[in-house]
Amino acid sequence: MADKRAVGHAYNIDFLNVVFAASSLFVLFSTMWMVWDDYDREWKNHQRDFSLLQLEVTRAGLAQAERDVDRARVAELEAQRAAAEQQLAANAAQVTELEDQLADVNRQLFVATQNFNFTKAVYDVDRYSFEVRRDEAHAGDHGEGEAEVEIAGRDEVTALYDRWLAEGLEVERLTAERDAIRGRIAEFTAEVDAVTDELAALTGEADRLRGLVTDLAPSLIDDYLLNAPLLDFMAPTLTVRQTITPNIVDDVNFIRVPKMDRCQTCHLAIDLAGYEDYPQPFRTHPNLETYVGSASPHPVETTGCTVCHEGMGQSISFVDAAHSPSTPEQMAEWEERYDWEESHLWDYPMLPTGMAEASCAKCHREEVFIPEADNLNLGYGMYERAGCYACHKTVGFEDLRKPGPNLTRVGSKLDEEWVARWIRDPRAVKASTWMPKVWYNSNTSTPEDAVRSEVEIDAVVAYLFANSEEHEPAIGFPGRGNAENGQRIFESVGCLGCHIAGGESREAAGPRRTFGQPLQAIGDKTSYVWLFDWIRNPRHYSPETFMPDLRLNDFEVADVATYLMGLTGGGGTEAGATYEPADVDEALLSYLRAIVPFEEAQATIAAMSPEERQLDLGRRAIGRYGCYSCHEIAGFEDVQPIGTELSQEGSKLLPQFDFAFIHAEEVPHTKRDWINQKLLDPRIYDRGRILQPLEKLRMPDFGFSAAEARLLTTAVLSFQREVQPRVSQVQRSARKDAIIDGRNLVRRRNCIACHEIEGDGGDYRELVEDSSLAPPLLTPEGAKVKPDWLYAFLRGPITIRPWLEVRMPTFGLDDAHWNGVLDYFAALSDTVGPFRTHERVADAGTLETGEELFDLLRCQQCHVLDTIPEDQDVANLAPDLRMTAERLQPDWILDWLIRPLDIQPGTRMPTFWTEYPGSFYPQFDQDADAQIQSIRDYLLTFSGGPSPLQGN
Amino acid sequence: MDALKSFIDLFADPRLFFLITLAALVLIVWKREAFVSNRWGWGLMAFLTVFFGFGLTDENFNLIITKPDNVPIVGLIFLLVFFTWFSMRQAVDNDRRAAAGRPSIEKDEEDRVWTWPDLVYTELISMVVCTVILIVWSIGLEAPLEQPANNANTPNPSKAPWYFLGLQEMLVYFDPWLAGVVLPSLIIVGLMAIPYIDKNPKGNGYYTFNERRVEITLFLFGFVVLWSSLIVLGTFLRGPNWNFFGPFEYWDIHKLEALTNVQLSEYIWVRGFGMALPENWFVREIFGILLTIGYIAVLPVALAKKGLTRYYEKLGPARYYVTVLLFLSMLSLPVKMLTRWVFDLKYVVSIPEFFFNI
Repeated sequence: MADKRAVGHAYNIDFLNVVFAASSLFVLFSTMWMVWDDYDREWKNHQRDFSLLQLEVTRAGLAQAERDVDRARVAELEAQRAAAEQQLAANAAQVTELEDQLADVNRQLFVATQNFNFTKAVYDVDRYSFEVRRDEAHAGDHGEGEAEVEIAGRDEVTALYDRWLAEGLEVERLTAERDAIRGRIAEFTAEVDAVTDELAALTGEADRLRGLVTDLAPSLIDDYLLNAPLLDFMAPTLTVRQTITPNIVDDVNFIRVPKMDRCQTCHLAIDLAGYEDYPQPFRTHPNLETYVGSASPHPVETTGCTVCHEGMGQSISFVDAAHSPSTPEQMAEWEERYDWEESHLWDYPMLPTGMAEASCAKCHREEVFIPEADNLNLGYGMYERAGCYACHKTVGFEDLRKPGPNLTRVGSKLDEEWVARWIRDPRAVKASTWMPKVWYNSNTSTPEDAVRSEVEIDAVVAYLFANSEEHEPAIGFPGRGNAENGQRIFESVGCLGCHIAGGESREAAGPRRTFGQPLQAIGDKTSYVWLFDWIRNPRHYSPETFMPDLRLNDFEVADVATYLMGLTGGGGTEAGATYEPADVDEALLSYLRAIVPFEEAQATIAAMSPEERQLDLGRRAIGRYGCYSCHEIAGFEDVQPIGTELSQEGSKLLPQFDFAFIHAEEVPHTKRDWINQKLLDPRIYDRGRILQPLEKLRMPDFGFSAAEARLLTTAVLSFQREVQPRVSQVQRSARKDAIIDGRNLVRRRNCIACHEIEGDGGDYRELVEDSSLAPPLLTPEGAKVKPDWLYAFLRGPITIRPWLEVRMPTFGLDDAHWNGVLDYFAALSDTVGPFRTHERVADAGTLETGEELFDLLRCQQCHVLDTIPEDQDVANLAPDLRMTAERLQPDWILDWLIRPLDIQPGTRMPTFWTEYPGSFYPQFDQDADAQIQSIRDYLLTFSGGPSPLQGN
Repeated sequence: MDALKSFIDLFADPRLFFLITLAALVLIVWKREAFVSNRWGWGLMAFLTVFFGFGLTDENFNLIITKPDNVPIVGLIFLLVFFTWFSMRQAVDNDRRAAAGRPSIEKDEEDRVWTWPDLVYTELISMVVCTVILIVWSIGLEAPLEQPANNANTPNPSKAPWYFLGLQEMLVYFDPWLAGVVLPSLIIVGLMAIPYIDKNPKGNGYYTFNERRVEITLFLFGFVVLWSSLIVLGTFLRGPNWNFFGPFEYWDIHKLEALTNVQLSEYIWVRGFGMALPENWFVREIFGILLTIGYIAVLPVALAKKGLTRYYEKLGPARYYVTVLLFLSMLSLPVKMLTRWVFDLKYVVSIPEFFFNI
């Protein structure tokens, strides 16, 4: 070996051989590692786990199905089948002969069909080539009338066509012959087949599950060979499962592409009922009726997953799919199990559990309130009640009234001392108020800030009172009433639908039952005279108020006002500092410095009297903090609101949110956490910064609870730019428009605080002991009552159920609004339009039977007919039937009698025709329809009940 | 430990960083005899290894050097140092041989070997080893993917590909048309022109330093100091908003730098003459314009007369002027850097009226 070196080798070849061998081994090992690295995926393990789980669940289902099979019937049928088979065996010779014939005919039919198809193929070729030749021959022709050129081959084409027809006839003849033979065989086997079919029907479910168990059972070929590394390109059983949605898109900024959701690769049971209690990723979707299920409005095949849940649908890795934990505990668990971290690969991480409704608005953008999106609707309700839209312009929430009370006549209602205490810390006065705290927040909490806060508070109060108009109460010196009676009225007529008076928290009451101001401590707030005037007629003080009229007489008003004056407490907070006139000047100077040069600012201040300085400061402070966004304040009629527009806040990218010195350990650096923290402490992002007074954040503190902040975060995240194509969005129509407008109206006027409509609202029901004593459900109202009656009722409500204490108030809306309500109910029931004929063909005989049934079913036991039934529990009482003809839609009465519980769940109205269309009652040959009609027709003969139509 | 990190952070300031690399170049050239010793070679490698090993223990530096985009640049640093050292060693070795009257290594060693197996076999092994490295690398480091590109949300910092980071660094000191168009074109044209300018046959086919002192020093200055070290600076030391960050410093997106740069015209008219800036842009910028003309037109002529007369005579006017022009434009970068650092000079000529700045 040594001689090789001598003849001019640079290296020792033996050594090179060793190096080569070693490097070859390395390349082999690294290639194997590469294959394994490519092969080993977390989703495959999920699929393996799931097939075991599925096997277990299916086996349990099979065991249950086998238990459910009617053994006796199966044995009986099997005996029958044995007998029938015996009979069949007796005719075995004939059957065998027929089967031989059938085989022969089948063979002939096969040949004939093949000939037929081949001839057709040859014919098509020849015909086309003939057509081409003819076209070429006529290539020079330009018009009509040129002589036909004779082309060879035409006859052959025709002959082929005839042959093809003839062969077709042969096929038809043989088919008929075959069917005839089959029929004759079936005559012999008919009995056996019938029994076999019945047996299959009995054991079908068990057989199906048994087949499934066989399929799912572990098998060498399916589970190991087909899924082996390098072999799994052919027909693996572990596969990525994806849904591509042509009409739901991902916006990747330069183009919009159909979503490709691979969530089902791991969430294998998402569309399978029966996995509700298994841990993720193998849990059934919690609402298959609305989502995922193929019969739901959002089937997974066309809707996908990430359009609602967000996250990166293409990803099949837990972390890259951008799962978002909903609690810190879950986050810790994920970090442990999956090495979870906030994904940086996707701008829109998944919404945590409970916040997915923020995505509804992507496609339901035409609507504001969306059916079944209860969290989102509650969030929107809160967004409106807290008045977020007043400072932050938001599409869908434009042109709403100012959410706070009118302050242009504040001097006649309140005194300065109370207002100063109030705005210093509203929740110290009324714990449940929506009025936020503007001063003394986390970025204005130092003693120096306190001086400035007091200066501004006093200046704002001074401005409000200096600009307050006079208000003359309708009754100057009202007498006092009975507080006890006042409390009874207050707690029963329906005030509690919008107001809370006790210690109930705002979070527990929710935005609907705090729609009106909380009345805690109102006795220390205002005067008896003002309160009396307000309850008597709220519009007298504030013409634009939404507070309706409950039609109390002056004595009742006095009682209620006296009761409310007794609600005292809530002393508020004392001033945190005292100040000198120079502090006012300094504050005013800081405002003026921002707009004019220093000298000019000083000169302006010097020219003012101390009072003028304070008023000017008040005006500027109101302008800076945006008080006028929520309240009518003189001098601010045309000023724009102060907040950032939020119409597309949910689409903003994370880098556009400034966390300042709030570190990720305290507030995770995600969009939802930023918004959530902003709601919990609006000034937090000023922490640790050196800021001049006018540079500080100024959003006031609403004292939101964690749950309130979460709902509002969901609402804010739902404000997104338009990404999904029109075809995926809710389609507009006249009916849809009516529903959308109506939904907004019943929420913005707080109808749904008392009435449940479309499954939402009806909070007042919790306040009455029996739901039949609560305001009615209004979802079927359009089908139920006549529009002209409803219109009259809404304008001037009458008492339908005198035993109810809660009252329908008079809202004093204009006709446009009432028509909106009518259209809404009509659209909900799909009964748009006021005119529907009902031809009454009741003859005397029918009415007689109707009356007979009316007595038989003892309708009058609960229903009023002029007189209220005695000895009856009030919860069982029902409306006066004399109103029927004027009030109810005749068709609806039929429907109501058939299925009252479906129309109004919880109603006390009994279902008399439980066997419908059958009947227990002998009349009309037990024809339920005829019986019901006769009762209806009999009811329509009544008249003279209370009516809103009179006098309208 | 933190004090050490702060100390290193301090030295990584672009000014010091540049001066240190420049000083290192001077030392390498000047003390090359010592530099090429094995002790120095191993020492440098050991220093780099220790430095990056130490860097891995720091949270912030770890993020930067283990970023899949930056890993190859760490490797390139090792290669750059090694090859600089190695070629210098060969050159010094040959110079010693020449001084002793012996032929160069290249001539001396008659180690012609067989194509097979010596060449082809080693090439094959190299290919296999490279394949192994690439496979392991691709398994070990995942592709540095990011979220879908968005023109409303550019990454911060937005960095050029690593090989252009030197150019990007020039943008700090020059107007984009100079840093992005003129200077890169000159670099390419200049590199292409070298064979036509440099007709000196010395050093062809063998390493040497003594026979090509100026050329090698200039090359090392242009390549190692201006090009490679600026790439290193751009990769490891430039963070959000293109602010400078020490290797162990947290990349704070809110970090601010006081921008207090001043135009030459303001220096002369306002601070020098104590008067307002002239309205007319030509009058205003006349000193800058004269200075620029002086730099690119008068200076080469003056140098031909005195200072570089030897080169002028050796190269002839055409080659001389092209060479000097290329040399001066290369030198304009450190000149501009120095004036920025020392005088806060923003632009020599600044004519915003038609977007022209030098």
